[in-house]
Amino acid sequence: MLLRSFRTVILLAAALGTASLAGPVAAQSRDLVTVDLPNDAATLDPHLQWDTDSYTVYRNIFDNLVTRDASGTIVPQIATAWTYVSDTVIDFTIRQGVTFHDGTPLTPEDVVFSIRRIIDPALRSPQLSQFDQIASAEVTGPATVRMVTKSPYPALFAQLVKLSIVPKAYVDKVGAQKFNLEPVGSGPFRLKQWQKGIAATLEANDTYWRGKPPFRTVVFRVVPDVATRVADLQTGKADIVRGLSPDEALTVKKDAKLQVLAVPTERIGYMFLNTQAGPTQDVRVRRAVAHAIDRTAIIEALLQGYGKAVDVVLTPANFGFVDDIKGWPYDPARAKALVAEAGAAGQKLTFLTSPAYDRRVVEALQQMIQDVGLKVEIQTMDQPTFLRRRQGRPDEAGSLSLGRWSCACQDADGVIFPLFRSGSIWAKYANPAFDKEVDAARAILDPKQRLVHYRKAFEILRDEVPGIGLYQDFAIYAARKEITWTPTANEAFFLFDMAWKP
Amino acid sequence: MPRYLAGRLLQALIATFGVMTIVFVVMRLSGDPTLLLVPEGASREHIDALRRELGFDRPIFIQYLSYLGDLLRLDLGDSVVQRVPAVDILAARIPYTVALASAALLVALGIGIPVGIAMAVWRGRWFERPLAALVLAGQSLPTFLSGILLIMLFAVTLRWLPSSGADGPAAIIMPAVALGALSMSTFARMARIAIVDELSKDYVRAARARGLSVGGTVARHVLRNAAIPVVTVAALEIGNLLAGSVIVETVFAWPGIGQLAIQSIQSRDFLVVQAVVLFVSVVYTVTSLAADLVYAWIDPRIRLSPA
Amino acid sequence: MSAAVLRRAAAAVGPVPLGVGLALALLAALVLAAIGADWLAPFDPTRQTLLQRLRPPGHATASGAIYRLGTDELGRDLLSRVLHGARVSILVALLSVSLSIVVGTLLGMIAAWRRGWVEIVIMRLVDTMLSIPAILLAVLTVAVLGPGFLKVVMVLGFTRWPRYTRIAYGQTLQVASLPYIRAAELAGASSARILLRHILPNIAGPLLVVATAEFGLMILFEASLSFLGLGIQPPTPSLGSILSSGRQYLDRAWWLTLVPGATLFALVLSVNVFGDWLRDRLDPRSRSR
Repeated sequence: MLLRSFRTVILLAAALGTASLAGPVAAQSRDLVTVDLPNDAATLDPHLQWDTDSYTVYRNIFDNLVTRDASGTIVPQIATAWTYVSDTVIDFTIRQGVTFHDGTPLTPEDVVFSIRRIIDPALRSPQLSQFDQIASAEVTGPATVRMVTKSPYPALFAQLVKLSIVPKAYVDKVGAQKFNLEPVGSGPFRLKQWQKGIAATLEANDTYWRGKPPFRTVVFRVVPDVATRVADLQTGKADIVRGLSPDEALTVKKDAKLQVLAVPTERIGYMFLNTQAGPTQDVRVRRAVAHAIDRTAIIEALLQGYGKAVDVVLTPANFGFVDDIKGWPYDPARAKALVAEAGAAGQKLTFLTSPAYDRRVVEALQQMIQDVGLKVEIQTMDQPTFLRRRQGRPDEAGSLSLGRWSCACQDADGVIFPLFRSGSIWAKYANPAFDKEVDAARAILDPKQRLVHYRKAFEILRDEVPGIGLYQDFAIYAARKEITWTPTANEAFFLFDMAWKP
Repeated sequence: MPRYLAGRLLQALIATFGVMTIVFVVMRLSGDPTLLLVPEGASREHIDALRRELGFDRPIFIQYLSYLGDLLRLDLGDSVVQRVPAVDILAARIPYTVALASAALLVALGIGIPVGIAMAVWRGRWFERPLAALVLAGQSLPTFLSGILLIMLFAVTLRWLPSSGADGPAAIIMPAVALGALSMSTFARMARIAIVDELSKDYVRAARARGLSVGGTVARHVLRNAAIPVVTVAALEIGNLLAGSVIVETVFAWPGIGQLAIQSIQSRDFLVVQAVVLFVSVVYTVTSLAADLVYAWIDPRIRLSPA
Repeated sequence: MSAAVLRRAAAAVGPVPLGVGLALALLAALVLAAIGADWLAPFDPTRQTLLQRLRPPGHATASGAIYRLGTDELGRDLLSRVLHGARVSILVALLSVSLSIVVGTLLGMIAAWRRGWVEIVIMRLVDTMLSIPAILLAVLTVAVLGPGFLKVVMVLGFTRWPRYTRIAYGQTLQVASLPYIRAAELAGASSARILLRHILPNIAGPLLVVATAEFGLMILFEASLSFLGLGIQPPTPSLGSILSSGRQYLDRAWWLTLVPGATLFALVLSVNVFGDWLRDRLDPRSRSR
C-alpha cells in the first residue's frame, strides 16, 4: 500500500517535471497567438452584450455593415455603397460573394434580419439604445437594402460601424441560446471552441473575402489580475495583453522582447461636478475646482504621458471637438479666491469612485482640490453601486466623480448629450440654452452646421462647469516585439489588422 | 441512526434555505445588472425597458417567490449577463475547483502532517515553536501578495512554472501552494494534538517499555489511530479552501468557482452568484455531515447528538 | 473580562517559551509603533509630492527631507504610511474581533441557556452563516452598506460572529450543568447575572484563543477587501491598501511591497504564534500529562 502510493507520487512528480519544462514555451509558435483579457466574453452573440471583452472576441467572428479605416473615416465593409434618398431614407448596396462560416452566402435578407433583430425589444439587447433611431429596414433588390430612420440622425453611420451581420437561416434554425454559444459569422475568424469563463479559441477563416487572416489560431484567455497579465507576457504565456496602466507599460518597456502599443482613443477622462446638490451648486466652487486641477502634473507624473490634455469634455477623435475653446487654467491662487468668495472654505465635497477608475488619479485630484481650501472625501464603491448613485437623484450622486467616457461612436452627440442634456440620467445639470444647442445638433445632417451648435454648447459648458475635460484616454496594449499592429481610437481589436513581422 | 440522519438533513435543508434567502436579499439590495449592461449614454427609457424585460422591476418579494418556485423545480435560472443557464456556467468551473482544492489539500497535508508529527514526537524541544511558526507563516501573508511573489519567482525569474492558467498539470502547482499554505497549520495542530493523545496511551507506553523505538511506534500504531481526527478536519477545511480560492483563483487566473463568484458579484449576475453560493453551502453541509458520520463510525464512543 | 480571569489564564498557561516571548516582543513593538504613529511618522502619511514618486529608501530631496523607507506611487513617505497603516489595520482587526466576539458570545450563551426555539433559531443561523464563504458575504455587504472605516469593521464583525457562537454555545452547555450554577439559579440570581458573572469567566479561555487567531485573519481580510478595492477609503492607508497598490510596482519599487509586506507578515505571524501556543496550553488534550 505504502509502496504503491510512493510510486504514484514519483509518477506524478515526473509528469509535473516534464510539463513544467514544456509549459512556458508553448506560446512561442507563430501559428498560435494568445491574448490575455481581464474578463471572458459575456456573450458571443454580437447583438447582445457590448462590453470591451465581449466585442474584442466577437468582432473578429463577424463583419460589420460599415467600418472605419486606420484614419477613422467610415468606409464600406458589408455595405459597398450608400446613398441618402432623403434625410431619413438611406439605400445600401450589399457586397456580393461573402459567405458565412457555414458556407451559406451573405444576402440582403441577412442584413435586414440583423437590423430588425437588434432593434426588436424581445431580444432584450442592451445595445438597443444605440440603434433605436432606426425605424425599419427592408430588402429592395437582389443586392440592395433600404433603411429608414425615425428622424434625421447624424450619428447613424457611427453606430452602424458596430452592427454585426448575422446569418438569418442559422439563427432561425438553432435559436438565440445556441447561436450565442456557437456563433457563425462571416468574419476573418471562426469560433473553434468556447470554454466559458476560461478561454475562447478562434481559427482562421481561409476563404475570408478580404484575404488570408494573419494567424492560424487565436486563444483569448481570461486573466483578471493585471500583474498576472504582465507576467504572462514576460514568460511568453501570452502574446498580446489588454488593459495595462501607464505604470505597467513602463515595466513592459524594460523587457527587450516586448513592446507597448498605445493609442489615444475617443475615451474622455473628465471630472463630473454636481450642479444640483451640495457645495458644487455654486458655479464659483465649480470654477475653483477647475482652477485647482493641474492636468500636466497628472498626465506627466501619473499617466507617464499616456494621456493628452483637453480643455473640453470631448476628445479630438470625436466629431464636434472644438480645439480653440480654452478651459480654466491651473491657478491655485485664483481657485482659493473663488472658494473664499463663495464662502465655501472647508466645505466637504464627496468624491464618488469605483475600482474602475485609477485610484492614483483620484487621490491626486483630491489633494489638488483640498489644497485650494475645500475638503474632499473619497467614497469607493463597486461599479454597479457607483453607477446607481451617479445616475440616481442629484443628492445621492456625490459632488465629484471621474468618468472615462466613450460612446464608441466618435461623435459629440454620444458624449455631451447624455452627460449634460437635462433629463438624461447622467446629467445633474439643467440649462435650456445648452439643451437647445445639443438638440439641434443631433437633428441635422450637415457637419458644418452641427459644429456651430457644438461650439456654442461647449462655450456654455466652459462657463458653467458641470464637467471638466481632463485628458484624452489612451488604450494601452502590450505585445511581443514580433507582432505589428496599430491600435485605433475606437478601441477595436481586429486581429485581421495585425501581422507577424517577417 | 436513521432518525439522526433525517434530523441532520432537515437542519441542512433549513440552513441552505437560509443561505439562499440571505444571499438573495443582499444581492437585490445591492442593485441590479441593468446599469452595467447598457452602453454608455443609454437613456432612462432604455434602461427601464431593459430592466422590465429582465424582470428586475418586480417587487423583491415576487422575484423571491418566483426564484423559489424555479428552485423547487431544480431550475437555477439563466444568467442575465451571459444568457445561458446558470447551472452550465457553474458546472464548467467545478472540475477546476475540485482539482485546485484537492491539490491544495495535498500541499497542506503534505507539509502540515509531518510538521505536526515532529512537534508531537519532539514536544518541548527548542525547535517546537519555530516549527509551529513555519507552518503559521503560510497563513500570515495575504494571498494576493504571496501569489504574485510566487509568480515573479517561479514563472518570471526562474521560468520553471507557467505564470497563469489551467492548461497542463504544472499550472496547478503555484495556486495549490498559495491556497494550501493557508491550511498547513490547521493540520499540523490537529496532527500534533492527536499524536500527543495517542502517545500518552497505555499501548504506547507498553511498547516503549518493551524497548521499541519511538519512530517505530509512531509508524506502526500511532499514525493509524491519529488519522481519524485529521480526516474529519480535512473535510471541514474544504469550506475554508473554497473561500480562500476567491483571491487565489483571481491572481493565478485559475478558472474555478471562486473567480466565478467574484466576477458574478461584480457584474451583479444574480442567478450565477446564487448558484455558486448554493453549491458551496451544499458542499460544506455534506462534508461536515460526512465528517461527523465517519467520526462516529470509526469511534463508536462518540454519541451522535442533534447539535 | 476581569483581572481574576487574566490571572487564572496566566496560571493556566504557565511559563512562556523563548520563541513565543520573541513573538510577543515583536507584537508589542509593532503595536507601540502603531500607537505612536502620530509622533514617530516623519511626514503626513497622506501628503503627496508627485515629483518625488517612487523614490528609493534613503532618498534625500533638495530641500533636505529624507525619505527613510522611500516614497510610494504618489510621492508619499512610505515610513509614515506604514506606521499609520499598521495602526488602521490593527484597529480594524481589534474592533471587528471585539464586535464579533461580543455578538457571537452573547448569542451562543443565550442559545445554550434558553434552549427551545431560541436555540434552534440561533444555531441554524450559525449553520447558515458558516456555510457562506465569508469573503463573498463581506464583498456583498460592502456593496450594500457602502465604504468607510466603521462599515468595514461592521462587515467583518458581522460575518465572523458564528465562530464564537459555536464555542460559547458548547462551553455554556457544559458549564451550565455544573452544581454551583444550579445553586446560583436556586438562590434566585437573574439569568443575565448568571451568564455574565458565573458562566462567562469559565468559557472565556477558548473564546480568547479563537479571538487571537481571528485577529490575524481580520488583518488579512481587510487586506483582501483592499485588493478588491473595497477596503479602507483612500487616502487613509492600511497595510492592505499599501500592499495591494504596491504590488504593481514589484519590479521597479521593491520597497513598496517589502516594507508593508514584512510589517503585515510580522504582525500576523506574531499574533498567530502567540495564539497557537495559547491554544496548546489551554486545550486540555494537548497538555502533556
